[in-house]
Amino acid sequence: MIANAYELVVYILSAIGIYDPINGFFQNYGMEYLLRIIIIVVEIVVLLVFVLLTVMFLSWLERKMFAWVQSRYGPMITGPHGLFQPIADGIKLVGKEDIIPAGADRWIFTLAPFIIFVPALLVFIPLPFGDSLIISDLRIGLLYIIAISALSPVSILLAGWASNNKYSLMGAMRAVAQDISYTIPLALAAIAVVLYVGSLSTVDIVRAQEGTWFDIIPRWFIFVQPLAFILFLIASIAEMGRIPFDFQESEQELVAGFYTEYSGMKFAMYFLGEYAHMFAVSGVIVTVFLGGWTGPVLPFIPVQITSLVYFIIKTYAVIFFAMWLRDTVPRMRIDQLLNLGWKIMIPLALLNLLVTSFLLTAGVV
Amino acid sequence: MIDIVFLVISVITILSSIMVIRSRKLVHSAVYLAGSFMGTAAFFILLKAEFVAWIQVLVYVGAVVTLILFTIMLTKKGEEE
Repeated sequence: MIANAYELVVYILSAIGIYDPINGFFQNYGMEYLLRIIIIVVEIVVLLVFVLLTVMFLSWLERKMFAWVQSRYGPMITGPHGLFQPIADGIKLVGKEDIIPAGADRWIFTLAPFIIFVPALLVFIPLPFGDSLIISDLRIGLLYIIAISALSPVSILLAGWASNNKYSLMGAMRAVAQDISYTIPLALAAIAVVLYVGSLSTVDIVRAQEGTWFDIIPRWFIFVQPLAFILFLIASIAEMGRIPFDFQESEQELVAGFYTEYSGMKFAMYFLGEYAHMFAVSGVIVTVFLGGWTGPVLPFIPVQITSLVYFIIKTYAVIFFAMWLRDTVPRMRIDQLLNLGWKIMIPLALLNLLVTSFLLTAGVV
Repeated sequence: MIDIVFLVISVITILSSIMVIRSRKLVHSAVYLAGSFMGTAAFFILLKAEFVAWIQVLVYVGAVVTLILFTIMLTKKGEEE
């Protein structure tokens, strides 16, 4: 049984027959742990490259889809159908002057983009991309994901305050009010699933969704916990700060919200962090409610590859939904947003939790 | 190996705790406070108590520091120094 990507790499190296010679070489010098560190670093680099490429592709897809909805072409000039537009944007942003406003708090102004960018990447550690394609199967994976996401309000608040700009501060205040009120239904909806599975590990959650009912309906938690799924989806889109809920950067009122004053690479970090967060959140929705990497097993193809493909397809379906929503739905009002969060979603999430725990205790499901 | 990690985390935690009371600006204090809470969470991870560690991050860094920052921002500019 291969548990994570490290063991998978060791398994593949052993199958080719080069693991033992390499390990022996390191053992001669009494440094077996060095090989372990090298393999883990390589894994993390592969993951980072994959995530950054996906993020670039997503920024292209977002603009392209927005254009298609509005009967435009969107980016067309750089590369086939403008596919290299993100690279051009990246080069442009690197070349821009890095402006720090005169009244800004330099230290916090520089620190804030890192506090938002690093957690956006850390979320990928316990996310299973496929059978055994996971950096580390933490025992408390889902709690880890929620805790890491809870760091973003701190960064947003610091960025808004350090910019010393009223639009930045107002955007930050709104973003944090929204983040705090939507983290609660998010966590409560996730807890209902955790109660059902009996484990916080993401791998255990996916394993609990293997198989089908009546050979047709997959055992995904979207069918077991439909209310929790809807709440989790709405709360996730609110956490991403995308259009029906994008108060942190509602352009007509706040210029660009908390990153109004940022330019150059710092702006690029917010931009990349936003799309990395979107990819991560979609991955979490797929893992918790849409069966993760489970799917029909194909002959002759290793399960690692098919499961990766299933995971990517499902994740892109969720991302497509989020983008579709952004292109077609108008923005809400801030009071409507908070009312929805506190007066409708939290009571519904609590009710869902109550019913789930009652049914589990009674032994019905 | 684990002793070195313990020492590094201890130094970071203690230094940031001292900086919480030493720094001139309240917002800087709050940032150092977040650093010291993260250090405490790292101690829990060293003790293999992952659940407590991430609850520490969720509650203290995620909620308490945000709350403190919110209160600082409601004070007038100039009063904070």
